[in-house]
This record gives sequence, structure tokens and C-alpha cells, in this order.
Amino acid sequence: MLLFVNVFTYFCHDMTFDIQRYSVHDGAGIRTNLFLKGCNLRCAWCSNPESQSRVPSLFFNARQCKGFGDCAAVMPDVISMVDGKAHINRGLLHDVEPLRNTCPSKALTVSGDEKSVDALLEEIEKDRPFFGSDGGVTISGGEPFLQQDLLHEVLPALKASGINVAIETCLHVSWGHIEPHLKHIDVFLADLKHLDTGKFKEYTGGDATRVTDNFQRLNESGAAIIARIPVIPGFNNSSQELKDMVDFICGLPNIQEIHFIPFHQLGVEKYAMLGMAYTFPFDDTIEETDLLEIQYYAQLKGLTTKIGG
Amino acid sequence: MINTATSLKISDRINVLRDKTIRKKSTICTERAKFYTQIYKAHQDKPIILVRALALQKTVREMSIYIDEGELIVGNHSSALRAAPIFPEYAVGWIMKELDEFDKRPGDAFFHTDQNKEDLREICDWWKGKTLLEKGQEGMTPELREIHDSGIIRAEGNLTSGDGHIAVNFEKILELGLNGYLQEIQNWNETNQENASSRDFYKAMEMGVESFIHFIRRFETLASEMSQKEENPARRAELLEIAANCRHIATYPPDNFYRALQLVYFVQLVLQIESNGHSVSLGRMDQYLHHFYREDMLLGKISDDFAMQLLECTWIKLLSVNKIRSWSHTRYSAGGPLYQNVTIGGQHPDGTDAVNDLSYLILHSVGELRLTQPNLSVRFHKNISKDFLMACMAVIEKGFGMPAFNNDEIVIPSLINLGVERDDAYNYSAIGCIEIAVPGKWGYRCTGMSFLNFMRVFLAAINDGYDSYSKKTFFKGIGKLTDFTSFEQLKEAWKQQVELYTRAGIRMEHIIDKALEIHTPDILCSVFVDSCIERGLTIKEGGSKYDFVSGLQVGIANLGNALVAIKKLVFEEKRLTAESLLYHLENDFAGVEGEKIRQILLNFAPKYGNDNDEVDLLLRDAYMDYLNEIDHHRTTRHERGPIGCLYYGGTSSISANVPSGSVVPATPDGRKAYTPLAEGSSPTSGTDLLGPTAVFKSVSKLPTEKILGGVLLNQKLSPTAIAKKESKEKLVSIISTFFTELKGWHVQYNILSRKTLEAAKENPEAYRDLVVRVAGYSAFFTNLSPEMQDDIIARTEHFL
Repeated sequence: MLLFVNVFTYFCHDMTFDIQRYSVHDGAGIRTNLFLKGCNLRCAWCSNPESQSRVPSLFFNARQCKGFGDCAAVMPDVISMVDGKAHINRGLLHDVEPLRNTCPSKALTVSGDEKSVDALLEEIEKDRPFFGSDGGVTISGGEPFLQQDLLHEVLPALKASGINVAIETCLHVSWGHIEPHLKHIDVFLADLKHLDTGKFKEYTGGDATRVTDNFQRLNESGAAIIARIPVIPGFNNSSQELKDMVDFICGLPNIQEIHFIPFHQLGVEKYAMLGMAYTFPFDDTIEETDLLEIQYYAQLKGLTTKIGG
Repeated sequence: MINTATSLKISDRINVLRDKTIRKKSTICTERAKFYTQIYKAHQDKPIILVRALALQKTVREMSIYIDEGELIVGNHSSALRAAPIFPEYAVGWIMKELDEFDKRPGDAFFHTDQNKEDLREICDWWKGKTLLEKGQEGMTPELREIHDSGIIRAEGNLTSGDGHIAVNFEKILELGLNGYLQEIQNWNETNQENASSRDFYKAMEMGVESFIHFIRRFETLASEMSQKEENPARRAELLEIAANCRHIATYPPDNFYRALQLVYFVQLVLQIESNGHSVSLGRMDQYLHHFYREDMLLGKISDDFAMQLLECTWIKLLSVNKIRSWSHTRYSAGGPLYQNVTIGGQHPDGTDAVNDLSYLILHSVGELRLTQPNLSVRFHKNISKDFLMACMAVIEKGFGMPAFNNDEIVIPSLINLGVERDDAYNYSAIGCIEIAVPGKWGYRCTGMSFLNFMRVFLAAINDGYDSYSKKTFFKGIGKLTDFTSFEQLKEAWKQQVELYTRAGIRMEHIIDKALEIHTPDILCSVFVDSCIERGLTIKEGGSKYDFVSGLQVGIANLGNALVAIKKLVFEEKRLTAESLLYHLENDFAGVEGEKIRQILLNFAPKYGNDNDEVDLLLRDAYMDYLNEIDHHRTTRHERGPIGCLYYGGTSSISANVPSGSVVPATPDGRKAYTPLAEGSSPTSGTDLLGPTAVFKSVSKLPTEKILGGVLLNQKLSPTAIAKKESKEKLVSIISTFFTELKGWHVQYNILSRKTLEAAKENPEAYRDLVVRVAGYSAFFTNLSPEMQDDIIARTEHFL
């Protein structure tokens, strides 16, 4: 679909797993979202589990499987046909590449694509007429700051062509991964999940101080930042936990806007399709009305607030 | 910001009238048919134009009239509310055949009594052999008849149901008054005395206007009689005002908003008594009524509340007009619409915004009523008020698909290019669904003259001209797909077949146009369209100032997708062989192997609607083959007076994609046999996977400047996607880009109901493009788990 014609084409090995146009929820205006694969957190509630791994992932949607068996013919040791449906022995599955365009009905799909920077830019350019003055590109993940090669190529190119860039990040990387890109990023959509190091570790596998340290540094750098709190039932949705996070943000004078993102169990189906176990123990959802109290609290502290991205 | 009158709510009066009209079952009225039959019988020796003048005269003098409780705008179409009149002079065969089935139709049923049926049988009996349809058919060669009967081209709707698709010159009517028209007819009659047919036409026009005046006076008399018996003093006063209104506008130009609106409605009504065609439209109502409204407001003679009630009474009246069509035609117009379009917004010739306080009031009143009539269109332009667009979003949010948008930025320059004078081009309005014309100056059929089934033509192109559906070869091709050694040959084959079928279609249209001209000339409609009086010619004889016609091409997206699938999978990647593709098309992808081929066609070739140049440009080129061919043809009015007399493309085929698909075997885009084709210029349902901006990009790559018959784009939205002010602003932003930068032609919005979401859950393949907003996220609906889908369905209902 995309043309690789530019002689300066640089082929980077960072993976994108989706390019979503007309994204209206992450950042201002009409935006094209670039999702990059690879994350060093393992949030139990993650709604994009395919973004965690840095290598291509295999989705299998059993409802769409029509039993053609083309996949089993390509990988007889890994896939067998049981009752007219493909059965994948994921323990034996190492390289998903041979399956990429195999399934006629696309019940089996491979997520994760190596694209040239030019191809990415071309795809982004397509919706440029719609970006207007406040729209643009949102680079999301996974954790985009783990994709240094790609960022070094793409960000200056976007800046040069005058496209507004937002980056959606967990800030769970070393400052050295962020600092070189500051001048190319228009706004940070930075996640704040929890302040308690123990709880953060338990649910995400990561180190909360790394995140809070980066928040401090980012604040000092003068970058435009919107803090985003994903409100997760059973993890951080108590009144005190939310207030603590709002207070933390208030202590960073350069951050004036905070968004509360209500949690929904949208990723559940994806886990099954990736053959992954969904271990998040709570099945509640958060409604917008549940967030009115903390929104009011943040407003009293002088922050601009929004519910939802 | 202009006063939006958003605080105005529907009054009890309007609620009662609205409910009554909605609940009333459709019936049939035989009065018109009886009067027309009596006159035609008694005057067989007279010129047809005078016979029709006499028939119209008898009908409007003698038909039953009534004024319903609470009505402020008066005038009835037939003897009872929602009773469809019969137009036997057009066609009776279908009536005879379907008479006992009218009440058993799965949709759009009509109920009538046994007496009614008996009367109709007697009437139809007399008309056998004398109808327009039969006379039109006599004119066709056997070859054209066969093509028509095969369903590749359909054009007989004009013969069974007349022309329509016109808006008369309301501006002039309001300025001149009916007496003024009589004067003008007499003046020109004296000037143009050279030929007998002209003299008859002047006589007919005079009789027509006099009959119309008489018709309005009957309502004056009725209202006045009713007022004497009325005990409620408030209603008595209303009836007296109605009587005074009718007395005044029967002869003089209206002197206030109420009277202007009443006269506009009477004109709309009488045109639909005279003739049978649908899409008789009202033009730019917010412009030609504005000075009446403004003056009444300034002088304190009218309140917003009362003006809104008058508008709502008019909309309900528009819905009271009913039409029965043959079952085959009904399937092309599912839901029984009359497509009476009202256009608001747009710009003045100096480029300033024409949106005014009446535009808001019309928008708001249509939004409050949520009826199928009128069909409301908004003319977008780059300087249009953002506040007005936001008000439009609030109405779109109600989920009944209105208003639709037409784009001045492409339509006006295209019209000027075609030779339309600048001031006229700036005054265009939507007609019927989305097609356009300059009201009061344009002939009939700015679209819908015939339907050309692109995919039947395409299948013939890959089968050496053989049409497997009718088992005939109408035009020998240049080979089968299996003979072609390159994709270029396939393109050549398409070009050859589409040119031949296009020529056949034009030949049919000419025969039909001639039959309409000779056998069913419209008198009043011609009176109210420039420059028929001056020239002494009916519209069909070349009386109108402009004459541009379009047919409808059905299966646009399917054509692009079929071409690219063969290019990529057969010629480039060789994943499929031509033999196997032809075999599986013939067998409708039967068996496991067939289904596998179909899935490959669906999933491994680009699809129109995803901003993919490969398919979008192939479609553009293939469509150009058709458009280049019609450029060579002229209408039957050529060199008889009007400017233009040209054809252009059109895709506003509304529900025709379903019956058109029902006669098309399996196609190389992976579509199963006899299932619907893609509608209008929209992508095939379920194949536009990149969201609305990509769809806009694809659609704008079509040669829109040559498709003035309408580039119809339907977009689907979930109710929550437009609920918040911020979402509405984003929608306004992308629509503005689509129109100002990409020169899109039209767009309308479907807000999804719970019903649609349930259907999407049952049949995910057809709804893969359905994006739903789920609080903080948006997602493809069919990718969600059944539980999540249920959750969203429940939530959606809550939001509705």
C-alpha cells in the first residue's frame, strides 16, 4: 500500500502496531495516532496488551475463523484444525511472520509492522488537511520513549513539516531517553498512575519514583504537560489516592491541566485473542459521574480538568 | 449570534396535528382519477394541453376539501389525510396487477375499500392502451425494451410516475401574486400569436391559473362557513384569519409572513395534484420568505413562537401529501418519501453569509418535529456562521438524518463552468434528496432520469459482453477476463461496454422525454418556471431558462473495489487466476473454496473509502469513461431555447442500491449475488476501516465537479460521538475541511440506533466500520466482546 520510493529511506526496526486516523480523544483537535510496540510496564489492566511486546504479536479471533486451514498448512507443528477451527499451540510458536498474510478471512492477524520513516510520514501527511491549528500527531504506545531510533528520525521530521506533536507516555524511562526530544515535542500527555511505590510495583512491575522524578524534571524543563490519571478500580480510585496525585501535580507549577480517564474493561477480548491471561482482579468500571468529586477537588486547586481523554 | 429560538418547544396544537398525521394509515383517493378520466373521455378530440387544463380545472373545483381542527395552514391533497391520489394517465397496468396486494405489502402498504377497488378497476379499464407508459413503450425499439427489462438500465419510473425534481420560482410568485401571472400570460399571448400550439398553451395556462385561484377561494369560503359554526372564539378568529388570508392571496401578492407561507404551500400542493412526479421542492425558503418575516417581526405583527407554529403546520402539511407507486418503484424509494426539499443557508452573490434568523427558525422547527418531510438541506460555504453549523449539529444529533449538507465551494463554480449565470449559480438549491438546480429556472430531472447498473455493465465487460442474468449478449465485448493478458485490457473492456450502455440509456431517455412532452404536459408547473410564459413553451418543449439532466449510476464503490481486486490479485500478485475467479463468480462463491476466494477478495485488496490512491484513482478513471461518454449527448430540448441541454453524472440513488443489487450476480469485490450494492458514493458498508477523514479523502477524489446530480455520502455515527459540545466542534471542523479544502460535494449523518447496534452484533461482517465511543475510548464495535457490545447497546439506548 505504501510506496518506498525515497532514496533516503531509513528503515528502522521499531515496530508500530497501529496508525489510527481521526483520533479525537488523545490530545487536542483531530489527530493521527501512531502506536509503537514495546513497553517496560505490565499494568494488569492494560487495554492494549499487544503493545507490550517489542516483537510482532499474533491475534486469533476464533469467531472469524472459517476453518480454511491455510494457517495449519503453513505451520503444521504449531497449528492444528480442531472442530473446524484453528487451534494454536502458542508454546511452540516462535516466529509469527509466515502467518502474516495467510488467513483469507483475517481471523489470524499479525500486529506489528516495520515501516520506513518515510512511509510513516506519508501516512501521517494524509490527514493533514484535517489537523487545523490544534490537531496533529499523537505518538503513543507501548512506551514511545523506548523507541529511540524511531523518535530520532520521526520527531525532527514532523517538527520540520510543522505538524503538532503530542506524546503519550508513562514516563517510566530514564531521563536520558526523554531529554534529547524535548525540543521536538509540543505537548506531553503524561500518565500518573500511583504515588505509592509498593502498589505501583505490585500492579505494574515498575518503579514509581522513576515516574515522579521524570515529572519533576519535565516540569523544570518548561515543557507543555497534561497530566493524565487513569482511574482504575481497586488500584487507585480511592478518594485519598486520587487527591494525593492531584496534590502532587499541584506541586509542579508548570502543569496546569489534568485529565481523569475512567477505566473500562475494553482490553479483555484482546487478551483472549493474544492467548494471554487477563489477571486484573476487579471487574468494576468507572463512570464519569464517579469522577465528579475529584474533578471538583482539582478545580478548586486551580487546575484545568477534563474527564476522558 | 442570531436569536436561535431554541427555547421554543412544540405546542399542544402541533403535537396533536403531528400525531394525527403520523398515525394515519395510508389509503387511496380516487377523486382525481375520476375527474381526469371523465374529462379525457369527453374531450378526446381536443389538443392534449387543453384536455389537461380542463381536467385540472374540474379536479380543483370539485375535489373534496376540508380544514382540520387546529390547522393554521390549509389545503388538502386528496379527499382524506394521507390518501394517495391516482394518476391514471401515466400508467394503470401496475394498479390493475397490484390492486389486491396494496394492503399486503411488507412495507409502504396502502389500505382501501372494496368500493374503491371497483372504481379503480373501472377507471383503469378505460385507460388501457391510452397511458403514457404504453405510448412511451411503443416508441422503444425491441432491443431497448430488452435492455430495460433485463434491469441493466431502468428508466420507466418517469413514465409510471412522471418527472418531478423541480422547484418553481417562489420568489416571483410571492412578488407577482396570481393575478400578476394572469396579466403576464395575457401580455405574452398577445405578443406570441404566430402558432396554434402556442395559442393553446396560453389558453391552458390562463385556465390553469384561474383554476388555482378558484381552488384557493374554495378554502376562503370553507373557512368562513366554518367560522360561523365555530363556538370556540379563539378558533373562530383563526378561521376568519384563514379566510382573509385565502381571499387575499388568491389574487394579490402576500403582504405578510403567514400569507406568504400559505401561498407557498398552496403552490406546492397544486403542483402535486397536477402531476405525479416526486421531489417537487421548495427551494431557498429562508431567503425568499425572509423579508416577510423580518418586516412582521419589526412591526411586532408576529412572534417567534407563532412563526414557528406556522412553519411546523406547513411541515405537517407536507407530510400529509401522499403518493402510491408500483411495488417495483416503491423498492427504489423505500419508506414512501416525497422528497420535498427545503434548502437553507448558503451565500449571497457577494460571498457574504446568507444565514439569517429565519434559517435558524426553519432548522429548529424541522428539528423539533423530526418528520420525514421536508427534506432539509443546508448549503455550506467557507464563510458560513460556525454558530449555525453548531445548531445544525444539535439537529443531526436527534438522529433522523437531517440536515444534509451541500457545498457551495464545489457546486457554484461547477454551475458557472456549465454556463449558468453568476447570480443564478449563487441561488441554487437542493432538489429532492441532494441533487441541485436553480429554482424556478431549471427544467425537470436534475437527477433520476434513469438508473444505470454499473456492476451489471462491469460483469458484461469481463464476460465478452454476455449478461449472465438475462442470458443475453446486448453488446459484443472485446473478450473474457480469461482472454485478457493485461489489466489495461480489462479497463478497455469496461470503457467499451459502459459507452454502449450509456448510449442505449440516452436513447431510452429521449424516447421517454418525447412521450412526456407530447402526452402529459404540465401547465401550472410551466407557468411558474422561467421562461415558459415568454416563449410559449412548456418545460418539456424547451420553456425553461436552463436544462441540465442527470441519470443515476448505481454501484460506485463496488466498481472501484472490483477493478482493484482483479488488478492486484489476478494480474499483479497472481494469487487468484482469472479462470477460478470467473468460475466462483458464476457459482456465487459456493463451497469452501468459493468462500475462501471471496474472503481473499474482501481482505486482500484495497477498498474505496480508505484514502488509498490505487483504488480511488482506478474508480475515478472508470467513472470518467461514463462521464466522457455523456458529454457527447444533448437532451431533447437542445436548440429549442434553454441554456445547457447537457447531461452530467449523479449518484443520489438513495435506496436503489438494494433493488439494483437484487439483479446483480456475485461481483469481484467479494459481494455475494443479489445482495445490495454500495449506496450513493459511500464506501461499501463495512469496508471503510480508517474513519471519517479517510472516507472524505476517498470521496473527494471522485470527479465531483462532473457529478452535479449529487455525490451522496452517508456517514454513520454513534449517538455518543456527537453528544458533547467538543465532539460537535470536531465534527464541524472535519466537515469544514472536507468542503473547503477537499471540495467535497455533500454529506449527511446517520446516528446509530440501538437497532443498528443489535444488527451489528448479529452480523458483524456488514458492520466492521462501525465505531462506537465508549467513555474514554473509541472502538470498532465488532471487535468488542459480546458482553461489551451488550453494555454499549444498553448505554446507547440510555443516551438516545
